[in-house]
This record gives sequence, structure tokens and C-alpha cells, in this order.
Amino acid sequence: MIAASQIEPVRPSPLDSRTGERREMTLHMGPQHPSMHGVLHLVVGLDGETVKWVDPDIGFLHRGVEKLCETLPWDAIAPVLERNDYLAPSTNSHAFCLAVEGLGGVDVPRRAQWLRCLADELSRISSHLVAWGTMGVDLGGAFGGGTSVFLYCLRERERILDIMQEWTGTRFHPNLSQIGGARYDVPAGFDRLLDTKLAEIDAKLDEMISMMEESPIFQARTRGIGVLSPELALGLGACGPVARASGLALDLRKTRPYEAYKEIDVPIVVRTEGDAYARYRVRIDEARVSIRLSRQILAGLPDGPIHGRPPVRSSKHKAPAGTSYAAVEGARGELGVWIRSDKEMSPTRVRLRSPSFANLSAIVYILPGHLIADVVAVLGSLDPVFGDVDR
Amino acid sequence: MGFAASLIGLLKPVRVTVSHLFRKPTTVMYPHAHRPPTDRFRGGTFGLTTDPETGLENCIGCRLCEMICPSKIITVTLDRRPDRGYAGIFTLQYEACMQCELCVQVCPTDAIVMSREFGEPAYSRADFFLDKEKLHANGKKMGRVWGSGSTLQAMHGKKERPAPAAAPAAPAAKKEGA
Amino acid sequence: MWTADSILETFVFPFAISLATLSVFMTALIPVLWIERKLAARLQGRVGPYEVGSPHGYLQPIADVLKLLSKADMIPTQADRLLFLFAPIWTGTCALWGVALIPFAPGLAAFRSDISLVLLLAVASLPGLGQMAAGWASANKYALVSALRVVGQVAAFEIPLIAGAITPAIVYGSLDLNTLTEAQPAVGFLFGHPLGIPSFLLFLVGMLAEGNRTPFDIAEAESELIAGVTIEYSGMRFALFYIGEYGSLFLFGLLACVLWFGGFRGPFVPGPHWLLLKGFAFFCFVTILRWSFIRLRIDQFLKISWSGFVPASFLLVLLAVWWVG
Repeated sequence: MIAASQIEPVRPSPLDSRTGERREMTLHMGPQHPSMHGVLHLVVGLDGETVKWVDPDIGFLHRGVEKLCETLPWDAIAPVLERNDYLAPSTNSHAFCLAVEGLGGVDVPRRAQWLRCLADELSRISSHLVAWGTMGVDLGGAFGGGTSVFLYCLRERERILDIMQEWTGTRFHPNLSQIGGARYDVPAGFDRLLDTKLAEIDAKLDEMISMMEESPIFQARTRGIGVLSPELALGLGACGPVARASGLALDLRKTRPYEAYKEIDVPIVVRTEGDAYARYRVRIDEARVSIRLSRQILAGLPDGPIHGRPPVRSSKHKAPAGTSYAAVEGARGELGVWIRSDKEMSPTRVRLRSPSFANLSAIVYILPGHLIADVVAVLGSLDPVFGDVDR
Repeated sequence: MGFAASLIGLLKPVRVTVSHLFRKPTTVMYPHAHRPPTDRFRGGTFGLTTDPETGLENCIGCRLCEMICPSKIITVTLDRRPDRGYAGIFTLQYEACMQCELCVQVCPTDAIVMSREFGEPAYSRADFFLDKEKLHANGKKMGRVWGSGSTLQAMHGKKERPAPAAAPAAPAAKKEGA
Repeated sequence: MWTADSILETFVFPFAISLATLSVFMTALIPVLWIERKLAARLQGRVGPYEVGSPHGYLQPIADVLKLLSKADMIPTQADRLLFLFAPIWTGTCALWGVALIPFAPGLAAFRSDISLVLLLAVASLPGLGQMAAGWASANKYALVSALRVVGQVAAFEIPLIAGAITPAIVYGSLDLNTLTEAQPAVGFLFGHPLGIPSFLLFLVGMLAEGNRTPFDIAEAESELIAGVTIEYSGMRFALFYIGEYGSLFLFGLLACVLWFGGFRGPFVPGPHWLLLKGFAFFCFVTILRWSFIRLRIDQFLKISWSGFVPASFLLVLLAVWWVG
């Protein structure tokens, strides 16, 4: 593992070593850019087309979520936090609820735990579908095969959104997790619905792989690009598919299991190459695992109530005093919430541990030496979501 | 990759895209066709309900919805009358609603509900400022919806507070997630 | 002495034919734009333009151009004004010059010449100059990087383009497009001759690169360089680039149809209808390629050209010469 003090930012001299003339152009990519995955202002130092250094400038989507949570009643925070990592929404509120329940005083029924994990898995599949689609757009452009892949991925994602709509009433931010349990129980006939939709996605996944991976152009664009070594990944705190593609077997569902994962075996997908292709491939395999897990969770759903507190009638719930940290395995890695409570109407401090922030910090070290076209390919493979980076 | 393998690999994306030419497009031609919303769909605007038997408003002005709303869009004042409480002023700024349905969940009398139809678009913000008359008009139009306070609360599966299975240890100590 | 016949022959007929050719070509661009959008939509499982000119969005290209015409005209303060204004005009118009050389019917071309193939190839690479001018004049780093890419791309893929186009000329011993159309076997040069397919493939690759189409659209590269050379252009100037791009592409398509697919020949009556039909079909093919492939990186792209396609081009030409000799 590399200590933080040993990691030097890469910033070579702008002058050519042989002739002494200035050979560097500064290009500002973003924040409005078709491929910045949100709003990233990336200042790139270029020598021709080669990237010499990269300076990410984040904060354009900073919404002050952590401060906002200090003003909201406890039960009202989970819907707000769902907008944090907005592509895998259920994972955020799940992490928050786990943290608050860790303070004590609430008993979460098993059925609720399993339902929350099911929502997590569905969010994960949905997020990975967006990740491939946007990676296709990054590689192939808005006027090319990339957009075709993007639209196919979003079409499949519609099936997941249909599942969420049947279950919770809204497609995207279901607000399923609540302090003490889950809000909505599965409707009648849900297992048939889930089975059908997931089977459709599974079948179409082969098609998308055909479009992306089996094309030699994709292989040429992603093999060996943006290699992240395991030591650097560990030193930066990279997590999720990014870390697993670099050989680190980090998956909270396996290493620190919570809720349903204590009873279900989750196979971790690990690759050793650490390049953009490995990260993409890890997500594909993970999505397949998630499809299997969703079926498994639904099949093994325990009976019982879905909430451990009396029906949420009052917004005057006060969590016990103390501090607590809980993390879930989000679509991008370890999504953690640290809470400090002084038994007030609102938490005293909410701190979000963002997986995208850690993953994104790798670009400073892995991009120099690549070309401009690789910048977008690497960003696509790291899959940051800026609601999470900036909070 | 070998040259021949590359050429064959190039044909695969073409096969996928060309196969789509022979499928029906996925697009639902809105507004000529609509995707039917599910039973539980909560994408629409709000309404205040009235009791069908007595004809009285269901809202008792308890203000629980106002307190729980994360976006703080609801404003209610209590109009305490001899028989029971009513809502004096009830306004809802729909443009800032994040559709979390918490207000519906906490309502003890099933007064506030969300509709299954998407709200009508409007030309000015004033049209999204729902006051009590508009909310009651919406409520009359809506009819019976799935999502109401009692349904959501009944889903929780219990009416009384359960005895905790095991007492939490050392309440002030730092705890890890469950 | 100017007689009535000589005036007719020297001025009126050529002018009439040129006008007719230009009108046909410009009008043909409207279905070309429609095909692009509708085919792209269907390949992606969408419906495409629908409302404008219901029920199939036939009037959408007109709406597009009208929209572009109505936009504000902005010139960056630091832009090189003369070049900035020159570039779209150049690109938009020199796509049209080559149409004069294409035979639309037996013996009917706006500009008849014994070396029409060479003239057409010369004129067909001219739009690149406008793109380079736009890239330099825009005072924008994205445009500059894009222009650098255009330079590399045009230089690298001229040779496969020309080699592919020259092969039927070598085989049939003529540089006149009219003669080349008539000299082909009934199934066209593509299938009627062993060198048909290799030369067509090389021409196709060169054409996609010259026309900035995926997988060779790195000069535009929407996801990296936003709009490439045209990033600072809006309104009518952008419309000129837009028309120039599709015009140039359709021109290459017509050339391909003339050289490999028999041009204006067809069952019953030969004429411009066959050429245009083939042109549209070819454009559909190119569009399918565009919407199926992601793009290559500039260095990979130049590498496969200089170390793959260029040697193959020389080989092909040598083979053609040997075949004939």
C-alpha cells in the first residue's frame, strides 16, 4: 500500500527537456461536456494529443446535502439522501437507515432487511446499465454506435424501473428504506414480474456485449488503457468495480456482510488487469451476479412485518445519542454514512463517504501519458456520478 | 486480434443494429398512446379527500405532513372547531415536490393523497401553487387511489410497538452498522 | 461568329444541365437527411421524426434547416474573421462542384470530360481545407485539436480512396466516368470482377475517413471535442457545414455507385432514377455503419492507415496493372 505522503501529483515541466521551448497546451474539458459524466471541470495539460497532467476541479454539483440533513427531521432525510448517488438511489437511503439503526433502539425485521437488499441489487443493475451506455457514448460519440448502445442499455433499464414502479409507485427514487424497516411490501405476483423482466435483461445483455466487447474497436480502445495498480487503488481508497478490476477483492457484501448478505453467498468478481476493459468487464459480470441475487433474495424472502417501529405517524422521532457509521456496497463501491446524534429532532452531523470521490481521484495518476481520447474512455470506465462526488 | 477475427468482430455490432430494423420500436407515441401507470404509481399531483358518507373534509389540521415534508412545501394552519380540528389554510407548492409520499404515509385520516396521473403542465408557477380549493377539486377528480395513509401504515404490519428482541448494549458507545 | 446553334451549345445547354443537376442534387439531399435520422432511429429501436410532416416526419429536414437559419450569428472576438467566414462557404460549396462530373444518364453530365474521374477525386478532397480553416480560425482549442486531426486523417486516407477509385479505371482503361459506367459487366464492377470487392473496400474506408463518419469521425468526436471544427459556428454557417458534410458524403456515394454498382444503368430504362436509387441505398449502408461502430483513437487510426491500408492500396494498384497487362 502506498502512503498518502508518497503519492506525488504528476505535474511535469511545461518546457521541452531538449529544446527548452514551451510545449504544453491547457485544455479545459467541462464542466459542460457531453462526456464528463455530470459536471467535472477537468483541466488537461496537453502536448499535442498526449496528456501530460490532469487537474480535476469538482464541486459543481455541491448541494450541501450534509448540512441540509442537519435541518431535517430524521424520517425525512432518507428521501433527500437518495439523490446523492442518483444512479443507484436505494443504496444511499439504505446506508443512512443502517447508520441510524446502529445507534440503537430499533429492531429491523428480517423481511425488511431482505427487501432493502433486493432494492439495492436492482439499483445496482440499473446503475451498471447506465455505466455501459455512457461508456459507449464516450467511446463512440453521440453520433455513432455509442448512442445505439446507450439507447439499448436504457431500454433494458426501463424494465428495472417498471419493477420499481410496480413495487413502490415511483420509478427512480423509491424511498424504500426507512428508519426501522422498509416502506413498501412486494405486491402480489411480484416474483413472476421480477422473473420475466430480469430474464429479458439477461437475454439482451448478450446483445450488448456483442455490440461492445466483441468489436475489435472496443478492444483496441479499452485494453491496457488507464491501468490502475492495486497499490495505488488501495492507497486512494478506491472501491467497488474499480478496485475489483485491479485485483483487490473488496466487496462489503462479502467482507463485512450486512442484512440479507449474511445469509446469502455473494461471489465477488475480481480481475487483475486494472485497465478500462477490466472495469467494464467486472460490471458486466457483477450485473449477472446481481440478477441471480435478486431472484435469490426474492425467493428466500422471510415472512413477517416490514417495519420495526410503529407506523411512521410522527416526524418527532429522535434517534438515541451517539455516533454510528454504516456502509453498504453501492454500485460504485463503499457508500458510507457517519452520523452523530444528540437526541434532537435532526442529526447533529451527517457525513457521507463517497465511493465516486475516491475512484475519481485516480485520474490524476493514471491519465498522464494517454491521449485525449483515452481521457473520456477512462472516465467512462471509472463511472463517477457527480451527485456523489460533490454531495 | 487477428485480422480475420477483427473483420468478423466488426460484423457483430452491425448484426445487432440491423436486427433492430426488424423489430417494433420501443417508443410509445405519447400523446397518442399512454403507458398505463401501475396501481401504486405516485407520479401525479395532490388532492385532499372528503369522507364519502358525511361529506366532511378528512383533514384534521394535525400538521404532520407539514412537519415531515423534506422539501417543506406544505403549509397548514389548524382551525380548531368545537367538534374537531380542520385545516384553516392548506397550501402545497407542487413545483418543489420530490414525490417521496411521506406526507401521505404520516396522514392519520387519509386526507392527502397523490394521483396516478401526471400533473398537467402549466405556464406559470402560480398554477403549481395548490391551495385548499384546488386540492379538494383534485381530490374529487381522483376518486379512489391505492396510496393512502392507512394502506401504507397497514403495510408496516403492526399496530403496537414491539418489545425489542435484545437490549442494545452501551447506548453511548460507537456502533457499527447492523 | 456566334450563331444561334453555337450559343445554345456553348451557353444555354450546359447552363440548363448544370442547373438541373444542381437542383436534383440539392433536392436529393432532403431525403438523404431524412434517411439519416429515420434509419438511425430504427436501428436504435426508436421511431425517429414523426410529427413534422406526419406520419413519418418527411418535412423534418426542412424544419432542421429552418431552425438553423433562424439562429443568432456569432463570431468569436478573437477569431480570424476572414478565414472564419470563408471556411463554411468553402466547405458547403465545393461539395457541390463534383456533382457536375457525375453522369446521370448515358452521355449526360453537366461537365463532360475525358478525365472526369481524376477531376472528381481532386475536387472531392477540397472540403477538408474548409475544415482546417475553420479549426484554425475559431480561436478555440477544441477546434484546433480537431483541425490537427483532420489534417492527419485527410492525408492518411487519400491514398486508399484514390487507389480504390483508380482500380476500375485501370481495369477498363478509361478515366471518363461515363465510359466506366458503360464498360462494367451487368452485375456491376463489384461482383463482376475479382478486383471489385477489394477496391470497393479500400474506397469505402477512404470515403468514411474523408467524410468524417464513424468509425473515423475523430475530427468531430462529439464526446471528446464536442463539435470539433464547427464548435464556434451557429446558424447559417453551421448549416453550410451540415449541407457540405452530407453533400460530400452523398457525392462519394454517387461516385461509388457509378464505379462499382453500374451508375445510371438498370433494367428497363437507364437514367438518373437508377443512379439516385443506388445512391440512397448506398447511403443507407453507410448510415448503418455509422450507427454501429464506436470510433478509433487517432493514433490507432493513423497506424492502421499507414501500415495497413496504404500498402494494400499500392498492392491493389500493382495487381490491377498486372491484370490488365
